[in-house]
Amino acid sequence: MGEEKSSRPRINLIKAHIDAIGAALRRMTKPPMTLMFPDYEEAWPEGYRGFILYDYDTCIGCSLCAQICPARAIKMYRVPGDKKMRPGYNVGRCIFCGLCVDICPVDALSYSYVHDEVYSEVKPMNMDPIDWTLWSKRIKEKEKSAKPKLKPVIDEDVGLRYEVVKSVEGEK
Amino acid sequence: MEAEGERVMVLEQLATQTGLPEWLLRGVLAPLVYPGLGAFAAVALFIIWAERKIAAKVQMRVGPLYVARRLGGALQLLADGIRITFQEIIVPVTVEKKAYVAAPIFAFAIVAASLAVIPGGPGVYGFSSSVSLLVPFALLGLIPIVIAVMGWASNNKFTYIGAGREILVTVAGEVTLLASLLATAMMYGSLDINKIVTMQIRTGIPGIVVNPIAAFLFFVAALLMTDRIPFDVVLGEQEIVQGPYTEYTGLLFVLNMALDYGKLYALMLLFSDLFLGGWMPFDGVLLGSLTVFIKTIVLMLIAIFLRSVYGRMRIDQIASMFWSRLFPLALASLVISAAVHVVYTP
Ligand code: SF4
Ligand code: SF4
Repeated sequence: MGEEKSSRPRINLIKAHIDAIGAALRRMTKPPMTLMFPDYEEAWPEGYRGFILYDYDTCIGCSLCAQICPARAIKMYRVPGDKKMRPGYNVGRCIFCGLCVDICPVDALSYSYVHDEVYSEVKPMNMDPIDWTLWSKRIKEKEKSAKPKLKPVIDEDVGLRYEVVKSVEGEK
Repeated sequence: MEAEGERVMVLEQLATQTGLPEWLLRGVLAPLVYPGLGAFAAVALFIIWAERKIAAKVQMRVGPLYVARRLGGALQLLADGIRITFQEIIVPVTVEKKAYVAAPIFAFAIVAASLAVIPGGPGVYGFSSSVSLLVPFALLGLIPIVIAVMGWASNNKFTYIGAGREILVTVAGEVTLLASLLATAMMYGSLDINKIVTMQIRTGIPGIVVNPIAAFLFFVAALLMTDRIPFDVVLGEQEIVQGPYTEYTGLLFVLNMALDYGKLYALMLLFSDLFLGGWMPFDGVLLGSLTVFIKTIVLMLIAIFLRSVYGRMRIDQIASMFWSRLFPLALASLVISAAVHVVYTP
């Protein structure tokens, strides 16, 4: 024990305490680096994969999307009054891999930038084709009414800072 | 002494108007309103909010914000308090029921009782006696026993460990606290808190100037006794959840939370009376009380600010620091007191 103590570097205790308190006080004067989420959003990178949107009129009902989906988030449904099978979407199962969008031969599926929806039940997350179409319209609206976008900037002084992005790149 | 007379007048008037004996009014008003529980509730709501806000500032976060956004989230604690008060109190089947329920109530009652003798302004006290300085320490010294009972009754490993640590910490800290107290009493040559404050006012020199070491030791020991952060081994959130309070929910947990802040409040109130001259620049009841109150709040703010400065110390580090560094300092402060007590001899 005694030997360990003697090998320790000697520090000036009082100065060390004053330094520590000073450092804390100095940091109190700096602006917070919090992203105030519901009021501001982080700018989306290009090619961001959010919820999958579905266009009922373009779809030809080939069911390729349901076959490729690794999470079995897409299932084919029969819609009354429609000869073709139509895909339905379970947003709770989706892992946002984007394979369905890639494989769709007619581009009936597309990515959105929205990733934040809250469901208090499991049931509404599993949508049939009609629900999916309506839901896609709603998500598109949500995309349009976007909050101010911020992007992180490395700051010498603070470490990280968020700046408002003027023209949002990557927005469709 | 004039201030004393004035206050007695106020209370006497109140007593004649209501037809109640004056000692009863004093004994009820002081522990329940000011400097007692009413003032403490306001202080606790403010201080816990400030604690979160200051820690957030230092860590460059925002802290509580959404409850009363314009005030910077100042009502957050009120909201939390209301929620937790109406939460169900879950009593686990394995606990020793009577002791489990009684311990937090008893512990908090002890803190509240100690507020009866600490003056919060000129003549604003519940009871005065020639040994009133000893009363809060005697009472606060009982709390570790109650906490040990709490930990034992909860019948849980975390609470056992927490209770054991509370005993260890008390053994380490109480000696320093009492030694600094002894130095203080020696410096003033009195054990009456009211008299100590009037002495400081008469000479115009606050105790912290005459014996800074005693004041420093008192402050550090107070941090240890109230589980503030450099010494928060008892609660030890990282490894033993909430220490002795782990099994508590709802109102009983609120009492436990309030216990530590209550101790801090009582000790800092005492600090401003003993070392900062109490209601020093003022004589009136209202201004004097306000001065003591503000001094106390500033001291508490310093105590909670230290939370974001220091990391936690190990138990053995705390024990060795208190016994081998601070205890000799306490002896030194005794020597200083012996040398300088002429300042306060009339
Ligand atoms: S993104 Fe991937 S997981 Fe989601 S529906 Fe498309 S294929 Fe399935
Ligand atoms: S792959 Fe495209 S066209 Fe085929 S069913 Fe799916 S959405 Fe419709």
